[in-house]
Amino acid sequence: MDNLVISNIRQRPGRTLISMAGVALGVILVVLNTGLVRGMLNERINRERGIGAEIQFTRKGSSILSPSSVMSLDTRYSERLRQIPGVQMVSPVGRYVQSGRTGIGVEQVDGIDFPSYSAISGLQIVDGRIFENANEVIVDEFKARQGRMGLGSTIEVFGRQLRVVGIYAPESGARIKMDLAGLQNFLSAENKCTFIMVKTDRPENEVPVQQRINKALPGNIVLLTRDISEGFGRAIPGIDGFVRAVLSLSTIVSTLVILLAMYTTITERTREIGILKSLGASKRYIVSVIEKEAIAISAIGVVAGMIIALVAGWLIERATTLQLEYHWSWILIAVLIGLSSGALGALYPAIRAANQDPVKALSYE
Amino acid sequence: MTYRVGKLDVHALRGVEVSVEQGQFLAIMGPSGCGKSTLLHILGGLLQPTSGRVIVDGEDLMAMSDAARTDLRRRKIGFVFQRFNLFPTLSAEGNLRLAEHIHGNGLPTIDDKTRREVLKLLRLENKMSHKPLELSGGEQQRVAIARAVINRPAIILADEPTGNLDSENSTVVLEMLQQLNRELRQTIVMITHNPEAASVASRTIVMRDGIVVKDY
Repeated sequence: MDNLVISNIRQRPGRTLISMAGVALGVILVVLNTGLVRGMLNERINRERGIGAEIQFTRKGSSILSPSSVMSLDTRYSERLRQIPGVQMVSPVGRYVQSGRTGIGVEQVDGIDFPSYSAISGLQIVDGRIFENANEVIVDEFKARQGRMGLGSTIEVFGRQLRVVGIYAPESGARIKMDLAGLQNFLSAENKCTFIMVKTDRPENEVPVQQRINKALPGNIVLLTRDISEGFGRAIPGIDGFVRAVLSLSTIVSTLVILLAMYTTITERTREIGILKSLGASKRYIVSVIEKEAIAISAIGVVAGMIIALVAGWLIERATTLQLEYHWSWILIAVLIGLSSGALGALYPAIRAANQDPVKALSYE
Repeated sequence: MTYRVGKLDVHALRGVEVSVEQGQFLAIMGPSGCGKSTLLHILGGLLQPTSGRVIVDGEDLMAMSDAARTDLRRRKIGFVFQRFNLFPTLSAEGNLRLAEHIHGNGLPTIDDKTRREVLKLLRLENKMSHKPLELSGGEQQRVAIARAVINRPAIILADEPTGNLDSENSTVVLEMLQQLNRELRQTIVMITHNPEAASVASRTIVMRDGIVVKDY
């Protein structure tokens, strides 16, 4: 019987290829999209965690997590935060979000007070110098490498060409940084910022300090940096829905392609179904032959889809600033979707074949 | 037994009563549309008569579910068709293995010695790796016969097994059926239009308009 499965797969290369492509497409959708979502989220989370502050202080509508450019937090909160026991240093940060250079994704620009930001995050200029006016920016090493930027290159921010004067490390916050005063000026938001980084005197004091800030400045958002990953998932609207939609779409595409391919195949092979019945093959046996064939095709499609998705992901990472991160659980889900949609798509044609009248099937031309 | 076809109430078989002894080689003759194939399909459990009884080796097909009839076919009946009905994607050996696989419910039931005996009997030892389209009509029919007998069923039902063959190959196939009947003691029911083919059988019935008109 297994020979029958293999020989049928080999005998109809066009059908096999189309079915494989359908399953592979589903796998590619799942792997690439979840890889992109995870990659982008985690890359941002890691950079946000890299700022060195245990606490981030902000207010509603001006969240560090929100993909908007609203700066509604008064920088004078910095002084009040500094006076709270356990707070060692503070640094206000303004965040501007614009669409990505390639039109894919978004690009963030942080307006920072360099001395305090550097003191908290450990940020160092590794090449060039710090910005000296509103027309100059510094970028991290990844941005410089990925965007093939050197000192003297320009970056478009607010529709203006700003000059790269320095490259910094380590990565923290947005990849492009400029003077906070310059950003405030561009956005007409004098004395405003998006959030304030708070460095405690001892890392283990972060929770008591958070409580003290909440008590002293109620009505604001006081976020522990280590909790930021949970916040990101919630802060990006519809991310869960998007992932669910991708999964559903992948399942539907793969199932429909397999269903149509197997349905056509079963019609072509009506006579063969009749022969199987004349040999005494039970309905279950016939269903299992067709299901095995569909699952075998799906398995090839899953492997092909994985390879294509990984190659496409590598190309995306090279061509854009987007980063992908794969997790075994999503790989497993993609495999299961590929195989189960194959099995599901073949079920109706298989049952239809098993229920065929053997005499009519044998006389089918 | 009686078998009615379609809404027009055409009786393909009208009260046919046939009894075939174990080990008998029965030929069924008659013009096209006289009900020969319907009778063969009913005997093989592929069709169910509208009324009457069909007893195969003591088991009443009328009292059986579709699944039970399929199971009886798997255990006791081998079919040979005019158009060979081999799987074109499988080699001759693959076709035989498939029949073995179905017969054994996925477990091996035929030993190599038995397989070799059948292949030798049908002169197919050197043809097993060939696909059906690489074989002549006579060779394809011999593979189809091998597939029908490989599991040693009690009954072989052959629907015009020489209908697509030239006279030389027809003779070879008929001799082989005769030999199988003689050596393996399998009951054979064969439909044919050809009186020469019918002459190899030990008994012949002639049908017309759904009834048996001659039995000799």
